[in-house]
Amino acid sequence: MSTLWTRRLILQRAMQLSAMGVATPLAINLAAVGEAAAFDSTDYKALVCVFMYGGNDYANTVVPYDPANYALYHQIRAGAGGENESGIALARADLAATALTPVGGQVLTDNLQYALAPQLAGLKSLWDLGKVAVQLNVGPLVQPTTLLQYNSTNRVTNPLPPKLFSHNDQQSIWQSNGSEGSTIGWGGKLGDIALSSNAVNSLLTCISASGNAVFVAGHQALQYQISPAGAIKIAAADPAQSNWQGLRDAVTALITRSSTHAFEEELAVVTRRSMAMEGVVNAALSGVNPNTAFPGGNPLAAQLKIVARLIGAGATLGLKRQVFFVSLGGFDNHNLLMQDHPNLMQRVNDAMSAFYAATVELGVANKVTTFTASDFGRTLSSNADGSDHGWGSHQFVMGGAVNGGRFYGTAPHVSIQTDDQVGQGRLLPSTSVDQFAATLARWFGCSAAELPGILPNIGNFPNNSLGFV
Amino acid sequence: MQDLEADLELAPSEPTTDRTDDVRGAGVAVAAALALSACGGGGGNPPSPSPPPPPPPVSKAGTDTEAARFLLQAQFSAPDADISALKTSGFLAWLNSQYSSQLGQTGVAWLNSQGHNSITAEQRYFWPQFGDFMIWNQLLAGPDQMRKRVALALSEFFVVSLSPIDGFYPPYVIGAYWDVLTANAFGNFRTLLERITLNAGMGFFLNTRGNLKEDANGRQPDENYAREVMQLFTIGLYELNQDGTPKLDANSRPIETYGQDDITNLARVFTGYDWDYLANGGSFTDVPWHDYDVPSTHFATNQMWFNPGNHSTLEVNFLGTNIPANTPGPEALRIALDRLFNHPNAGPFFARQMIQRLVTSNPTPEYVGRVAAKFANNGSGTRGDLRAVWTAILMDDEARAMPVAADMLKGKLREPVVRHVQMLRTVGITSSNGKYEIYDTSPADQALGQSPLRSPSVFNFFRPGYVPPGTAMATAGKQAPEFQLLNETTTAGYINWVQWTSRFAYNDVGPNYSALLPIAQDTDSVLAWLDLRLTANQLSNDSLNLIRAIMGAFAITAASTQEQKLNMLATATFLIMISPEYLVQK
Repeated sequence: MSTLWTRRLILQRAMQLSAMGVATPLAINLAAVGEAAAFDSTDYKALVCVFMYGGNDYANTVVPYDPANYALYHQIRAGAGGENESGIALARADLAATALTPVGGQVLTDNLQYALAPQLAGLKSLWDLGKVAVQLNVGPLVQPTTLLQYNSTNRVTNPLPPKLFSHNDQQSIWQSNGSEGSTIGWGGKLGDIALSSNAVNSLLTCISASGNAVFVAGHQALQYQISPAGAIKIAAADPAQSNWQGLRDAVTALITRSSTHAFEEELAVVTRRSMAMEGVVNAALSGVNPNTAFPGGNPLAAQLKIVARLIGAGATLGLKRQVFFVSLGGFDNHNLLMQDHPNLMQRVNDAMSAFYAATVELGVANKVTTFTASDFGRTLSSNADGSDHGWGSHQFVMGGAVNGGRFYGTAPHVSIQTDDQVGQGRLLPSTSVDQFAATLARWFGCSAAELPGILPNIGNFPNNSLGFV
Repeated sequence: MQDLEADLELAPSEPTTDRTDDVRGAGVAVAAALALSACGGGGGNPPSPSPPPPPPPVSKAGTDTEAARFLLQAQFSAPDADISALKTSGFLAWLNSQYSSQLGQTGVAWLNSQGHNSITAEQRYFWPQFGDFMIWNQLLAGPDQMRKRVALALSEFFVVSLSPIDGFYPPYVIGAYWDVLTANAFGNFRTLLERITLNAGMGFFLNTRGNLKEDANGRQPDENYAREVMQLFTIGLYELNQDGTPKLDANSRPIETYGQDDITNLARVFTGYDWDYLANGGSFTDVPWHDYDVPSTHFATNQMWFNPGNHSTLEVNFLGTNIPANTPGPEALRIALDRLFNHPNAGPFFARQMIQRLVTSNPTPEYVGRVAAKFANNGSGTRGDLRAVWTAILMDDEARAMPVAADMLKGKLREPVVRHVQMLRTVGITSSNGKYEIYDTSPADQALGQSPLRSPSVFNFFRPGYVPPGTAMATAGKQAPEFQLLNETTTAGYINWVQWTSRFAYNDVGPNYSALLPIAQDTDSVLAWLDLRLTANQLSNDSLNLIRAIMGAFAITAASTQEQKLNMLATATFLIMISPEYLVQK
């Protein structure tokens, strides 16, 4: 009698499976997809979102470094003068190696000079090479907004993004322009217009390596999930692991059967997709094993490694455009900021640096643009050993196509009083997520006419291409 | 084997028949064989419809199916004794017996019994995994299932996660938090709110521990707990009607419950608290292998202590309530928690999410309103009586009405953790050494993609408002929170997980099939037994036929070896546990 549990398989319990299964490309109805696709180019391009869940502390990521502004930073974050590590202020001497010198003598607000967090040495090197740019004070806005307008009670004239300072909602707004419950993200909408360029494997247009994220859900484009180990094969339906065809057939029938119940049907739909794509994906991945070392024990690095391998497999899979989502959690540093945030910065640095190196090795560095995002920035002021929820923040853009080595946007004053913050140094964004996203979308190949369909508020802003890529 | 495959090819195309075939009959036979009480016979039909008085509310389970369906909403599994009790004594009597049952062994008591409070040179007091062992033991062992099931639901509303907890004795920190939930699961919401607010684990997780008042240099109180206690634990973001729908302003827009100023003010209330290492006999031990002293585990079980010197004395204005300057900290806390507890949102906000956890993802506003009304007044003038809330949730017509085919959006996706607990509790659990060495089951590719008390953030594993993109649910504007965990990786990872855990132990904890081994040769009875207890008879005839054919191919006889019987029993269990008809609890 055959069983699901042969001795051989018991011995192989922990193995990862790479045998090819029966692969049937999903029949996505391309005729149903709009004809808006702008991608006549034969070039491949990928957009990668690195989401820092929890709300990254902007002030200890891109840190005021010139003596005058550092003194303001230290006074606010440590409650006293000085240049040593104190309160939630980094020591100035520790910032010397990562101080940024922008190209072309760029002058910022109050003659600010910034340094990156000391752990971001890899990103600093890429900045020096012109491959990393910093977008200053970007956050969700409905329209350009002043402090006076923020404080107005007339929300008809002065609309604000809903549920500011709330984690789940601001995550959703960054990813999809809508608060929690929103189902279509701007990465997914970019995927929609790329679907028809991606031939039979269009399901691999929008991919998350870190769980479900609305960013990569489009109207037609579905988010496909990949684990760091690749696609997961269902062992009981796999001829290589189960030699009882009748049982394999029963398993497949049970887990893929159509149902009139919407929940049951969706389970079957996802399982069908999982089974159909597993062989395609793992076969394509098997030939792509870059030598670039990705650090272990770093979940962001593990995600970016599988993304790099998928990008490397893009040609095999017939793909022209892809949107990826990866993430790292733990950024809600109300407490122990000085203990936890450096570790997070180290992980971001190591993972992104390795990812860039892998794209160079794969010969696609100019075709891959990576950007960071987070729920919100945090307060500049201290709550003793951490910071609280804010709004605008600074973000990184990385890639061979990036006009790096310089800042974009307007530097905020180092202050808890000025009119570019709404209290305790919670930054009032001077650049909107829509502008930031539109710039990336234009690079991706989206036409100006297509932007309002992807970013509904973009018409409220004077500039839809910030120039960083 | 050839015959079997031929049968399987035919099976899916066979016309669907009513669920009155031989399997149903076998189910009754098994029930009789297992000395269950006789069928109630009424099938749940109300008495004659013609007399003027309306039919009385359903008070007893008319069938095994109705009983099992109720039990799988109220707790993890459907033991024979509970099915019997629901048919003979009725739902309310069963619920009241749960409410009056003694609290079983606590998580902390179990940790102590395992010696996890030891002070050893290998520094086991830093090891977090005993916290995972603790919660799996709590969920898998002991008779007090309903208390633990609703405590698990509470742990996904009042979230504290073991994952970020470090330092001394993380298992005790999370264990003491879990014990607050089980101890108050049948108590009052207001008491529970205060207990979690002052709990050491919550203090760590949302930073009330060590929270300091403002100072002259611009330092501000930590806002984390002030924000989340409003957004997640009591009132939510928008003003609600009692039925859980949002109130609208003159422009038909939702009305925000609070603003940043409310949070900044309320944060002052939660200053001045810290872990209490010494109360109730707590102590430190000087150890030779390091230069620190090791605390006893009391800091985890003691409520945080209040240090007036670190407490903000500023006036607090939030939600229209004033707490005057210099109000003593405990009094300020009482006023603040009373304000939140008495907010009209608290009932509907809590009620809707508990309905989602136990019964259905999309309750009607009327259902939410009925439960919220019981939250507001249990019938004896008490607000926040959780027993009244559970009873209202489980006894509501919307929960008790049997599913019909037209209800294509009713019910919910069962959570991975609940599935695993249900499976093991149903087929019987053996722990070879009592250690319950089940580690973090969060990995999606190799485990469950969810691990109890290890939410990735205070926002739980999934959000109550989650709508899976690109689905019929999204088109219909319906929510499906648990689908936030479903994707191409987790569906395959779960199926692979069940393949192994239905047959083999995970370390010391595995299935024993003790009730089924003696009747394994009677595959129809086995299938009926499993279908009732795992799905409340939700499997379609097509699915039953497929599974029955596979079971038959094992050709089990009374003389078959135990291994052969186990292989057949586990295969049947596996096939049920991966079926969407099981996975969606209707």
